Amino acid sequence: MEALDEYLGLPVVPEDESDSSDCSSRKRHKSKLPLAESKRPLAKPIGFHKTCRICLEHVREAMLHHRWQEAADYMASYTQVLQDRNKVELVWRMSTEILHNLPNTTVKDYNIIYERMKHSGFKHYLMICLEHSFHLMLHGDIEAAKHQVSMAESWRHGKESVSQLQRIRLIQAYRSLLDYIMWCEKKSTLSKDNSFESDSQGMHTFFRLASTNLQEILKNPGVWDPFILCYVEMLEFYGDNEEAQKVLNHYAYDNSFPPNPNAHVYLYQFLKRHDTPDKKLMKVLKHLHVLVPSHELMLTYSCLLLQSEKQSHTQKALGVLLDMLDFQCWRSNLDVWKCLHAVIHQLLQREEWATSVQMQMALRNNWWPALHFTSFHAKKDLEENSELFEVKASLVEILCPERETVITQPCNLDLTY
Amino acid sequence: MDFQFPQQLFPSFYSCEPPNRVQRHSAGGWGCYGGVLAQGGTGSVSSWAFRSKRQVGGELWRQMEPVPVPLLSPRKAFQELVTPPDPLDVLTHMQNFFTDHGPDAFGCMSEILGENFYFQKAKGKTKYRQGSVNMWRTKSFVDQLKFNMCPMSYRSRSLDRYSSLLWDVVHDVPPDLLGSLLYEELTEQRDRMQFSEAATGGALAFVPFSQSDGCLLYPGGPGMDRLNFHRVALERDGSACVDTGQKPVSFQLKGPVRQISCGSCFGDSCVAVRSDHVCGVWGMGDQNEPHLLQVVGTEAAASCINVSPHILGEVLVASESGAASLWTVGRGMQKVRTEESNLYFNAKSSWRWCEFSAHPRVMLYADRTGVELTDFRLKLESHPRHTLFRISSTSDCQRGERLLLVRFLGDVHPFHHLLTTQHSAYVMDERFPCVPMLKWDHMMEAPPLFCHVAPGSASGTTKVLLGSQSSQEITLLQYSGGAVEACCSHGSPQALLRPRDSLALLPVQLPHRQQTAAHRLASPAAGLTCLQRTSVSTATMIVLQLTAAGDIFYQVLERDDGKPGTPETGAPETGTPDTEVRFPVLAAETSSDEDVVMPTQAPNARTFVPETPDRNQSSDRPPDRIPALVAVGNGADWSARSALSSATRHTWRRWLQKLMRQEGKPEAPPRLVVRTDGLLSVPEPDAAGRHLQGAQQQDLQRCMRTRSLLHSDLEPVPVPPAVDAEAWHDLLSNRLTTAWSGGQEAWLDWWQEERGANRAMKREALRRRRRREKEAQRASGRHLQLSGSFTSSVSYQTDLDDFSGWSSGTSGPLSDSQRSRPLGHLAYFLEDQDDSPPPDRLDPPCRTPEPQAANQRSRNLADQSLSSIWETQDDPPLHPTPSSSSQLPSFPSLTPSRASQSQRGALQASQPKKKKSRMGF
Repeated sequence: MEALDEYLGLPVVPEDESDSSDCSSRKRHKSKLPLAESKRPLAKPIGFHKTCRICLEHVREAMLHHRWQEAADYMASYTQVLQDRNKVELVWRMSTEILHNLPNTTVKDYNIIYERMKHSGFKHYLMICLEHSFHLMLHGDIEAAKHQVSMAESWRHGKESVSQLQRIRLIQAYRSLLDYIMWCEKKSTLSKDNSFESDSQGMHTFFRLASTNLQEILKNPGVWDPFILCYVEMLEFYGDNEEAQKVLNHYAYDNSFPPNPNAHVYLYQFLKRHDTPDKKLMKVLKHLHVLVPSHELMLTYSCLLLQSEKQSHTQKALGVLLDMLDFQCWRSNLDVWKCLHAVIHQLLQREEWATSVQMQMALRNNWWPALHFTSFHAKKDLEENSELFEVKASLVEILCPERETVITQPCNLDLTY
Repeated sequence: MDFQFPQQLFPSFYSCEPPNRVQRHSAGGWGCYGGVLAQGGTGSVSSWAFRSKRQVGGELWRQMEPVPVPLLSPRKAFQELVTPPDPLDVLTHMQNFFTDHGPDAFGCMSEILGENFYFQKAKGKTKYRQGSVNMWRTKSFVDQLKFNMCPMSYRSRSLDRYSSLLWDVVHDVPPDLLGSLLYEELTEQRDRMQFSEAATGGALAFVPFSQSDGCLLYPGGPGMDRLNFHRVALERDGSACVDTGQKPVSFQLKGPVRQISCGSCFGDSCVAVRSDHVCGVWGMGDQNEPHLLQVVGTEAAASCINVSPHILGEVLVASESGAASLWTVGRGMQKVRTEESNLYFNAKSSWRWCEFSAHPRVMLYADRTGVELTDFRLKLESHPRHTLFRISSTSDCQRGERLLLVRFLGDVHPFHHLLTTQHSAYVMDERFPCVPMLKWDHMMEAPPLFCHVAPGSASGTTKVLLGSQSSQEITLLQYSGGAVEACCSHGSPQALLRPRDSLALLPVQLPHRQQTAAHRLASPAAGLTCLQRTSVSTATMIVLQLTAAGDIFYQVLERDDGKPGTPETGAPETGTPDTEVRFPVLAAETSSDEDVVMPTQAPNARTFVPETPDRNQSSDRPPDRIPALVAVGNGADWSARSALSSATRHTWRRWLQKLMRQEGKPEAPPRLVVRTDGLLSVPEPDAAGRHLQGAQQQDLQRCMRTRSLLHSDLEPVPVPPAVDAEAWHDLLSNRLTTAWSGGQEAWLDWWQEERGANRAMKREALRRRRRREKEAQRASGRHLQLSGSFTSSVSYQTDLDDFSGWSSGTSGPLSDSQRSRPLGHLAYFLEDQDDSPPPDRLDPPCRTPEPQAANQRSRNLADQSLSSIWETQDDPPLHPTPSSSSQLPSFPSLTPSRASQSQRGALQASQPKKKKSRMGF
């Protein structure tokens, strides 16, 4: 079927894909871009292949233009191509998408497609199983979804490639997520009935089933927000806070993981739930500040810094607030401006601290006036929020004392701040 | 609540390894959910809801017309080739080069040779030109080479000689080297046609002033080097885009406009325009006319320009040298980053891009391999850099995938950026670098270079429009989320209409017009923008697309909320009145304005070119009765395309007419003009002659009126002299003479004789004569007995010559023509010895002239093998004796049916016979 692949314009690649992506394009001249569809002359298909190809083009065209009924009619003829195992994924994707968009699809149609495609080739079994379970979850049939993922979990075929391994991990994790949902149900019934016998046993079984797989997936670098949340909740329920904190720390601070702001947020929330001292909380927020200076927790961070009454912390709070105000989304937020007002007034009480304001503002001198203190801003603030206008007006002299010289607006300004 | 970050993100693996995925199917991301998040569980299983990363249903947007509509009337444009030049056809291109760039190709040598060549037409050489060659004849020949003439019949021998003498010395650049350079150039041209990165970003923009009007910015002029600011207003329903009657304000630039970037702040707008080496910034407002603020030139070609969304008057410029500069208008440029090489791996690309981010002093610096966040508050060297995106397996890139375009989505979400590659589009959140929030397979053929993002309403989805260059595709993607909830895409990519497909849906044109129009419509796209309008009842989106020929096409999309009345089921297949209603007659515009083709023009507007017959018919009918063309589709298709309305049809017709007028007649190839003045000189008639001439003219006219012949008054033309038939001896003349003079019978006789039908009779006569001769010999004495047989054989020869009437028409002993037909000759010879075969069957095909030609080849073969034999047979002593000839009846099987083989066979057989006879002799 290589000929078929070739005429469909798909790159034929040997199985051992070990070299890196860039080799192919390195040899070429400037501005060479590997285009999506190579324009090389393809061998002219004949007979059945040609018919298949034309049919595929029609299906694709109809689907891209969202003419689903037409696509479905063509697709009915195209499924013959299933004799070719390489086309299983193509047929599965197209048929499912058409089913998604046809108005009168039944659950039976979906089941037929998923089941048939699943067993049309071993290559896509795991993927289709997982998608099938997603479909069942979205339609509220959690039991059936769990059955699907359990089936996929126990399925083995040949050597495991990297992508297959990842998919198995993902399947296990999703199964654990479903276990967690069962666990939640048991928990809620338990708390209602207060009958502490057999149900707690069943509940613990779910926990055990879930925790092994969740532990496993949390070891892999990645984004595992839903999984870590349910794992931590279960651990907390059983009182294993140490393990929970360990897991969260690992998720937040391990360098092989992507810099996920949520990891720090979860850690902060966990620590807050367990009444950890402010110092530790601030440490977490400090990390978050480096990562996302515009995060909403930064307001909390600056409040914590102010409360700590340490001299250097007040200066830090100033920095945090100014950083927040750099961002568009906080520019007209009254809370931040009020907080900044408080910080600055606290700082101005001491002569030596006043310089720190100037130092912080030195970096912003040439663009802050245009960002915050133009006449347009003044007009807008006055209209929308007069309190904000007052706060800003009180700060403009301190923050931008020489603003007239740095105005960069092309229009004439009539400063009102 | 823009500052919120999603509480949970969809799970995904993370790894910075280079990608090695290869997509083996063309179905993109169809059919899969991609991942789910569980939400809101309170206890029981049924209380849990799930949210998938790829949601099935999006907003339904459907086109109101099956074709995009031209917005402006067509203007003159330099049109590129539709098909790229074939690098393998080097000869033609070399020829073109030599013709177009003669001085470059032959400059030096022509200077040297020019001293000795004299190109003026001079009767006698002047003194100065003593040592030179007069070349005027060659020159005049060369001058005529530009005409399309037969190179075989029309040639100059002197030029041939010169070219063979000088062909290897006249070139300044050796043809081999030039050929390879040319090949390189052509290959690059072809690549550029498929993908030209200079156009990234697009040169079409719309600055809205209010809900219903704004300013459309587009390049115009033949070279796309005129920047136009055109006020446009949306019509009542937002279903059409129409000019407010103002002429566009335009500025002439020094190069073609590549990219237009706009930023607005409190009603003032800043427009930055990128040309190849010049960038300019214009200021504009609702009340203010557009005015130029500043222009800068860049040493290396600029590859990107972007206006700051935060501070008006700040512009980021990136150039191909790898430098990115912050240009504060009025204050100058400040270099903020330089990069010699590519960011993450060597992609051998000098394309650079920069965008502003959520922080006014942090920018995105991008090349083909990835995007970095650069904080440029600090000094140039110490800028902290963070990877925002890189081509890696985290983002599930494919092998060979490269970054094409980056766009800051400040209007939609303050932290989101849109990135496109050949295969996918990504939404990145700069608060969580390296991991894409969302990924689509956009499934476009050509790489997307233009994009427009339209923010959705509170509950609606955000629309992303991607436009490609060479294939003119526009794809609509939808997504939502990003603040409290994680991003998820809605529906599958929807392909919008392309101008190049529209001809098929319009009334048929005459072939040459069809070709011109198709060529024009196929020019690559150069920009994309979108106007959005939401009212209480409907939401509409007008997608505008600019092509490289300077045309702007728009298509109107309407959101289908599934309300009754909208074509949910059974879309109109023909032009029902419904479609007319949806296009209310717009307010009459000033007809003097020719800039915009108004759909409201009176249907019987003057035509500029003769109509196609088919359209003449249709225009006679009332417009509502024109059968609308619809897409070929299934009748039961619930999402069938809408019909072509008469307004659109009219707009298109006018547009096509204007285009035809613009293009003019196709240029005919130059023809050689031969001046005939004075070649035929008629002497001026005297008074009498003039009178005669007048009289003759009158006679002629009278005759023409009465349809009679004008013979009475004219002198009879002398009949040519009679043909002397005797002077013509050849076969054809004989035949014609016989036929002419003797009538049918004579000719039939002649023909019989020619074909040899009366051969038996003749043979009988011959035999009688021979007998008589023999008797006479006998009577004259018997002294020649010994040599009797010999003489008789000689007499055969002469007898044969008597058969000239049916053998060759020549007389004399063995003429050349007979010699060339030895077999035929031999056959006669043999058959003459033997009377037994019937004469009509012994007619070898080579005897009549026609088969001669047909058997030329076989005869030649036979000639070669037999020439030696004939030489021996020519020898008189070797002629067969009567004694030997008596043996000849031993092969009577010489039948005409096997003549071709038998000729050879007979000869092979005859050879030993002759030897025998010789021996016997």
